[in-house]
Amino acid sequence: MAIVEARNIRKYFGEVRAVDGVNLATREGEFLVLLGPSGCGKTTLLRMIAGLEKPSAGEIVIGAQVVNSLPPRARKIAMVFQSYALYPHMRVFNNIAFPLKAQGVPKKARKEKVEWAAAMFGIERLLDRKPRELSGGERQRVALARALVREPDVFLLDEPLSNLDAKLRTAARYELQQFQKRIGTTTIYVTHDQVEAMGLGDRIAVMNEGKLRQMGMPQEVYDEPADTFVASFLGSPPMNMVERNNDIVGFRPEHLLPTEVHGTSEHLVTFQFHLSRVEHLGAGRLLYGLLGAPFADQKVIANLASNVMIVFQPGMSYTFAVKTANLKFFDRATGLRIEPRPL
Amino acid sequence: MTVLRSTVLGARLIRLRDDEHWLGRLMLAPAIAYIALLIGFPFFLALYYSVSDITVGGRTMSYVGLRNFLAIVQNPTFIMALKNTLTFAFVSQILVLILANVLAQALMKDFRGKWVVRFLILLPWVAPISLGSIGWLWMFDSIYSVINWTLQAVGILDHNTRIMWLGKPALAMASVITVHVWRLLPLATVILIAGLSSVPQDIHDAAAVDGAGFWRHHFQITIPLVAPIMTVAVLFGFVFAFTDMIVIYVLTRGGPYNSTQVLASLAFFTGIDGGDLAEGAAISLFLFPLLVAAAFAFLHLARRVEVT
Amino acid sequence: MGQKKNKPVSRRDFIKTAGTAALAVGVGAHIIVPGRASAQQKTLKILQWNHFVPGYDKWFHNTYIKEWGEKNNTKVIVDNIGLAGLNSRAAAEVSAQKGHDLFLFLWPAPVYEDQVIDHREIYEECERKYGKAIDLAIRSTYNPKTKKYYGFSDSYVPDPINYRKDLWDDVGMFPDTWDDIRVGGGKIKKKHGIPVGIGLASEIDTNMALRAIMYSFGSSVHDAESKPVLKSENTLEAIKFVKALHKEAMTDEVFTWDASSNNRFMLSGKGSLALNAISITRTGENKKIPVTDNIWLAKAAKGPVRRIGLEHVMDVYVIWKFAENIEGAKQFLIDYVGNFRSGFLASEFYNFPCFPKTVPDFKTLISKDSKAKPPDKYKVLEDVLDWATNVGYPGYANAAIDEVFSTWVISTMFAQAAAGKMTPKDALNQADKEVRRIFKKWRDRGKI
Repeated sequence: MAIVEARNIRKYFGEVRAVDGVNLATREGEFLVLLGPSGCGKTTLLRMIAGLEKPSAGEIVIGAQVVNSLPPRARKIAMVFQSYALYPHMRVFNNIAFPLKAQGVPKKARKEKVEWAAAMFGIERLLDRKPRELSGGERQRVALARALVREPDVFLLDEPLSNLDAKLRTAARYELQQFQKRIGTTTIYVTHDQVEAMGLGDRIAVMNEGKLRQMGMPQEVYDEPADTFVASFLGSPPMNMVERNNDIVGFRPEHLLPTEVHGTSEHLVTFQFHLSRVEHLGAGRLLYGLLGAPFADQKVIANLASNVMIVFQPGMSYTFAVKTANLKFFDRATGLRIEPRPL
Repeated sequence: MTVLRSTVLGARLIRLRDDEHWLGRLMLAPAIAYIALLIGFPFFLALYYSVSDITVGGRTMSYVGLRNFLAIVQNPTFIMALKNTLTFAFVSQILVLILANVLAQALMKDFRGKWVVRFLILLPWVAPISLGSIGWLWMFDSIYSVINWTLQAVGILDHNTRIMWLGKPALAMASVITVHVWRLLPLATVILIAGLSSVPQDIHDAAAVDGAGFWRHHFQITIPLVAPIMTVAVLFGFVFAFTDMIVIYVLTRGGPYNSTQVLASLAFFTGIDGGDLAEGAAISLFLFPLLVAAAFAFLHLARRVEVT
Repeated sequence: MGQKKNKPVSRRDFIKTAGTAALAVGVGAHIIVPGRASAQQKTLKILQWNHFVPGYDKWFHNTYIKEWGEKNNTKVIVDNIGLAGLNSRAAAEVSAQKGHDLFLFLWPAPVYEDQVIDHREIYEECERKYGKAIDLAIRSTYNPKTKKYYGFSDSYVPDPINYRKDLWDDVGMFPDTWDDIRVGGGKIKKKHGIPVGIGLASEIDTNMALRAIMYSFGSSVHDAESKPVLKSENTLEAIKFVKALHKEAMTDEVFTWDASSNNRFMLSGKGSLALNAISITRTGENKKIPVTDNIWLAKAAKGPVRRIGLEHVMDVYVIWKFAENIEGAKQFLIDYVGNFRSGFLASEFYNFPCFPKTVPDFKTLISKDSKAKPPDKYKVLEDVLDWATNVGYPGYANAAIDEVFSTWVISTMFAQAAAGKMTPKDALNQADKEVRRIFKKWRDRGKI
């Protein structure tokens, strides 16, 4: 177990600033998710932590030791790749045993360890197969077992679930989380999927354009986004952003509700809502429409749970409201969060 | 009437154009004709010659069964040529394999001036082999050898000692192998580079993270993964080494005293210069069953280790 | 599949398949001499090597065939190729049954006997016009068994001794006998570090020089009746002599040689003696290499049994049976022999006449050369016919002799003994076995 730190890390590929001065530190045994759109630098950051890329500037620290000059094999890390990167010519047993061989673990101990790691993921019966004879989910488990078997100080996972189909992904997400809690190894997990990030992470680090935008617990990042990027990147559908003077006012679709649904004791801000379209999602409804004055003609979405029984007609106007506490304010020029102000 | 016929013909042509079955055959026909005329026909003619008594100046021939084959196996020169061929082929292929691996690895890396190096390495392959061999002939010359000159200039050899590169059996064999390796290296390197670039970077990264050092990485990950394509390179190399004689013809003509005589050159001297075409054919076909077996073994191996 | 690169068979077959179109491939200079355009104009196609003396090709192309073509209303086409390609080309033409009307070999080609016309008529006509042909020519083109002339030899090239007069004078010796060469060569090597160079490699000059030694020791591959007689005390003596010669007077470089090595050897000043045509001194004269004036010629060395040497090159023209202009080819040869004096001069004395009377002032010409220093350097060649013989001595050249020659049996025998790889006796036994095998093959085919 170890704390991983990135100190003012930069990585330039020619003119491109893939990672542009990131400072971040995990906690002991933490499950940290690096979240961001593709090209935001999260994978590059992970590869620098692994030692597969050399930082252009800054330091990587693992367990209080600066590891910049150490090769990957000396960093006591294990990594799971998006493609799993199983060795196609080796049986599953040898795939899992490979890190142990490289460490010079004796044959007998090697066998025990492989069997232990395989048991962790329930793949004992697959040990004699070649990777090409495995399903996607099985491959993912083998990759995890291979990472686990050497009992590293840090797990680095690069979108390990993105090659699984949707149903399998949910189950795998849960298993992964349970597994991490059980062994308690510091884990850094890279994904572009905010649902995964919310579900898995002890904390989430949101990155964009090579910079760290916000780091915090999932709910914190969701509820108190540091800037408009974080606000719009998390949540589906994304946060409504409406402009007012030099500010941007944001509120989540699930907070935009018909006035009558809100309790009366709360401070509400009401809007005229011209409904243009209704989408039925089964579990609820999405209402697309335009706001009335003073936010004339700005597009917003409302997300209604299925227990809201009111009938809505496209083309009609309704009165909707958001709790004052649920309004977030951002500076229009910088996109950064600012103090709430009266509307 | 003619109008009718031409429309029918036109319709047929259109049907042919849309019929993948026939179109496919039509498109393949040139390749098949090429193989049949330039490879198949000469090969079967050679087979036929080898069981006949034809001479280079003869138009008639009669069947003599395996007499030519029985005659050559009793000929010490043939036995020597057979041994030399195997030495020549195996040693040169082992060297080609090792050097091609080193070169391909080096050329996979990014460095300044890489294209110049690539160009230089590919040069022996694009230059006509006879010209290249003549260049080497000069380097191995008994009087004007630039290798000897260099060795003398740096003081490794004293001024009156000249190494007779083509004059001692072992040195001569080493020399012809050197030239053959020089010549085949580019092809093997290019094939290996293709193989190496087909291995996903993730696999290399995984091996690095999993703790593999250079040798383990190379021999347990990289080599097994490029093995199928390497097999192709080796197969090409063997076929070349077994059947080509230009290097030997230019450098030694089999000398000194047949110590570099290989089957292909002996077949030429016997069949064309010596006039006994039948025996020449027998000599050149002697290893054919072995080559076929080797080719099958290699291709089988390649399929077996094939990866998804 | 493995055999597709195989030269001996597939090239031949390729050409057979592709027909004559392919014959043009690889032909170097392709010279066409247009005569007067006329409906009846004939064509005569000649293939010969790139002559060692460039001046000869110039004369042949620009002067001789032009005049002959005009006189005979014939378009003459000459293709020149390198000497190493001659055998392959001949095999290809025979396979295709198409090619040139006149094909020049530089050695007897008895193996093609069935493919060529009987050249008897040409000899008869030439003898009627220009007097008797030399014995060497007949022995290189006549098969006594079938009584057929399988070629026509217009000229030959002597193979004298080339020696460094300064060095040999310095040790007070002259290379008159093979033993002189061994002893004197040894002295020069010891004193000046400059060795003798009799090739022991798989190449044509080696083949010639070693046969010269054999013949002068009374040894030969076959006898006058074409029976193999290699295994003899005389051959053993010759092998032992060459072994001693190598040890005392030569270096290992002779194992490395190709056909042009002894030229470089002499002209670089690093050799005291070699057997070659006059190409060494001619090259030296033309390129003004200083050592040339010290390279003198001597007639063939005397052995224990006789003084004998070889021709260096035997020019043998053949007319294929399938040639399109047989009559023209015959006429060309007859006329060419009639004009041989010009050819002799154009070749700078490289080609010697097979019909001596065509160069009546032969002795005067060679005793006063314009380039040589001294001018009578080549005079020693005047009695060349007394000591030069053919490959196949004391019999005729034949197919078996040709295969023994081409597969390096003799040079391998000598080289293995000289290098100490085999005892002289073992080397002789191995070669003898091989010679008998080859003779039997060709006898079974009814060719000898």
